[in-house]
Amino acid sequence: MKQRASLLGGVAAIVATFVVFVIPFLFIILMAFKDRQQSALRDFSWPTGFHLWDNVFEVVKTRNWMMITAFINSSIITVASVSLLVVFAAMVGFILARRKTRWNPLIEFLILAGLMVPPAVVPTIWVLQGLKLFGTLHGMILIEVAYNLPFSIILYRAFIATIPKDMDEAAIIDGARPLDVFFRIILPMLWPVTVTNIVVQSVGIFNDFTNPLYYLPGNANATVQLTLFNFQSQFSTAYNLLFTNILLITIPPLIVFLFFNRQIVAGMTAGAVKG
Amino acid sequence: MAGLELKALRKSYGDLEVIKGVDLHIEHGEFVVFVGPSGCGKSTLLRMIAGLEEISAGELVIGDRVVNEVEPRDRGIAMVFQSYALYPHMTVYDNVGFGLMLAKTPREVRDKKIREAARILQMEHLLNRKPSQLSGGQRQRVAIGRAIVRQPEVFLFDEPLSNLDAALRVDMRMELARLHQDLGATMIYVTHDQVEAMTLADKIVVLDGGVVQQVGSPIELYQRPANLFVAGFIGSPKMNLLPAIVDAVEGDVVRVSSKDLAATAIRASGEGLKPGDSVTLGVRPHALTPTESGSVVGQVALVERLGNETNVSITLPSGTSFMAVLDGDRALRPSGSIVLGFNPADALLFDGAGLAR
Ligand SMILES: Nc1ncnc2c1ncn2[C@@H]1O[C@H](COP(=O)(O)OP(=O)(O)O)[C@@H](O)[C@H]1O
Ligand SMILES: [Mg+2]
Repeated sequence: MKQRASLLGGVAAIVATFVVFVIPFLFIILMAFKDRQQSALRDFSWPTGFHLWDNVFEVVKTRNWMMITAFINSSIITVASVSLLVVFAAMVGFILARRKTRWNPLIEFLILAGLMVPPAVVPTIWVLQGLKLFGTLHGMILIEVAYNLPFSIILYRAFIATIPKDMDEAAIIDGARPLDVFFRIILPMLWPVTVTNIVVQSVGIFNDFTNPLYYLPGNANATVQLTLFNFQSQFSTAYNLLFTNILLITIPPLIVFLFFNRQIVAGMTAGAVKG
Repeated sequence: MAGLELKALRKSYGDLEVIKGVDLHIEHGEFVVFVGPSGCGKSTLLRMIAGLEEISAGELVIGDRVVNEVEPRDRGIAMVFQSYALYPHMTVYDNVGFGLMLAKTPREVRDKKIREAARILQMEHLLNRKPSQLSGGQRQRVAIGRAIVRQPEVFLFDEPLSNLDAALRVDMRMELARLHQDLGATMIYVTHDQVEAMTLADKIVVLDGGVVQQVGSPIELYQRPANLFVAGFIGSPKMNLLPAIVDAVEGDVVRVSSKDLAATAIRASGEGLKPGDSVTLGVRPHALTPTESGSVVGQVALVERLGNETNVSITLPSGTSFMAVLDGDRALRPSGSIVLGFNPADALLFDGAGLAR
C-alpha cells in the first residue's frame, strides 16, 4: 500500500515537472525552428521546414548586431558583479560570524531589510546621476552587487559559522595576516557555497530584465533580456525570431548549471551537518 | 633560548575574571604542564601566551622581550590545537609548509624543512594526502609537524591527545616526550588528565578557578600537595579525605580522631591549631593495608580485582566512602567488614582553610 502511494507520488511529481519545466522549453525549441507564418499560429505543430539557422542569423544581425553587444555587456556585468559579490559577501559573512560586537544585530537587520524592502528606482537614479554612474556598465555592476549582496551574505554566513575558529587561529599562529587568513584559508574552504552563489547570482544577473531597463538606457548598453524587445511591437511580433532569441539567451545559464550542477547540491546542504 | 616569565597575568571577559593573577617562571627547555579541571582557565592562559587572547593586565616575557603587544607570529611560538585545525583544502605537504610559505622562505629551504619534519614524525608517506584521508593519529602528527617546521622557541599544546583513543594516546605521549628530548625546546602543555601531566611534565602547574594552586615537579605534587584541591586532583585513584577533629597538639605531632577514624598521631605543624579544630586527614588509597587493629573500620561496598592489585571501595560508619588499593589479589566479600591501617607518616593533614600542615 505504502509502496503504491510513493510510486503514485513519484509519477505525479515527474508529470508536474514535465508540464511546468519541460513543455515550455520544448515549445521554445519548436518555435525557433519555424518560419514566421507558422509561428504566428503559436501552436504545438511540428515545424514545416528547417528554419533554425535563418532565424538565428536574423536574430543576431538585427539592429546592427545588437545581440553581440548585448552578450558582451551582459557577460561583463555578470562576471564583474558575481566576482565582487563573492568576495564582499564572503568577507561580510566572515566578519559577522567571527567578530561579535553590539552592532551585529543592527547589521543583521539591515541585511534582512536589504532582502525585503523593494528598491526605490527614482531615488536610485538620482543618486547614480549625481555620481555620474547612470547609464554606465560599472554603475549597473554596482547596482547588481548592492541588490544581491544580502542574499549572498546570508548564504555565506551560515556556512562560516560552522568553520571552527581554530582554523583562523592556526593560520594566525602560522604567521597569516588578516587578508591571508581570509583569502588563503577561509575563502577556499567556502568553495561549496561559492559555487552556489556563482550559479544562483550569475543566472539571476544574466537574466535580469528590470534593472538594466531602469538603470542602463541606450542601445550601446543593451543587455540580453532587452534584445527581446526587438521582435515585439504593438502591431506585429515575429514569434519565430522572439523564441530563437529566447533560446540563444537561455544557453549561457544552462551551461553554467550543467557545469556546476553536482556541486550546487553540496553547497545547498553544506553546513547542515558537521563535516 | 627562551624561558618565559608570567607576571601577575590577568584576563577578564567583561565583568567575568577568568585568570586572576598568575605568576610563573618557566626555564628554557622545560616541559611545563598546566593541569586543572575543565573551565579553570588553562586554555585561556595558554592562548594569552600564544597571543590569541589579549592580556587584560600583567606582563608576559618570552626570552628577554615583553611580548604583550607582539603579534603571535613574532613571539617565536607554535601551537597545536585540540581539534588539530588542519587546512582541509591543502595537502599535508602544504599544511606543514604554510607558515614557511607565508614567511617567504625560498622553495628549496622550505622543501628541506618540510621533509625533515616529516622524517622526525615518520609521516613521509603521507605528504601528498589531504587531511580528510588521514586517521586521527596521523592528523595529530601533521599538526605537530606544522609546529616543528617553524622551529619555535616555545611549543604550546592545548589538550592535543584528548581526541585520540586510549592506546594511541599512550603512544603519542611517549612520542611527545621523545620530541621534547630531541628538540630541546620549551614546551607548555595543557591537559585535564593528571596522568598525562604526571608522565610528561618537568613541572606541573595546577590551576583552579583561574588561580595557580601549586607549582612543582610531579613527585613534589604527589607527596606534598599544598592544599586540599591539589591533594584531591593529583594521584589516581583520588586521595581519601576524611574530616576529623584535633584532640591534642604536641609541638610537631597532632592527634586527631573522628567517628570514622580511631585516634591517630600525625607529624605536622601544629602551629595555630588547638584541640577542637576541624581538620582534614588525607590518605592515599595505596597507603592503606589490611591489619588486625587499624585506625579505619568499614564495610566493603565494591571490589575490583585487577590481579596485581585490588581496588576496594569501603563505606565508613558515617556513610563516607573510602578507597583502598591493596597489593596482590584479595578475594574480599562485598558487605563484609574490613579493618585498614596506614603508616601515619604517609598521611597528610589539612587545616580548616584547606592548606597543608
Ligand atoms: N570568549 C569568552 N567569553 C567569555 N568567557 C569565556 C570566553 N572564553 C572562555 N571563557 C570562560 O573562561 C573560563 C575558562 O575557559 P578555558 O580557559 O577554556 O577553560 P579550560 O581550563 O577548560 O581550558 C570558562 O569558564 C569559560 O566559560
Ligand atoms: Mg580548554
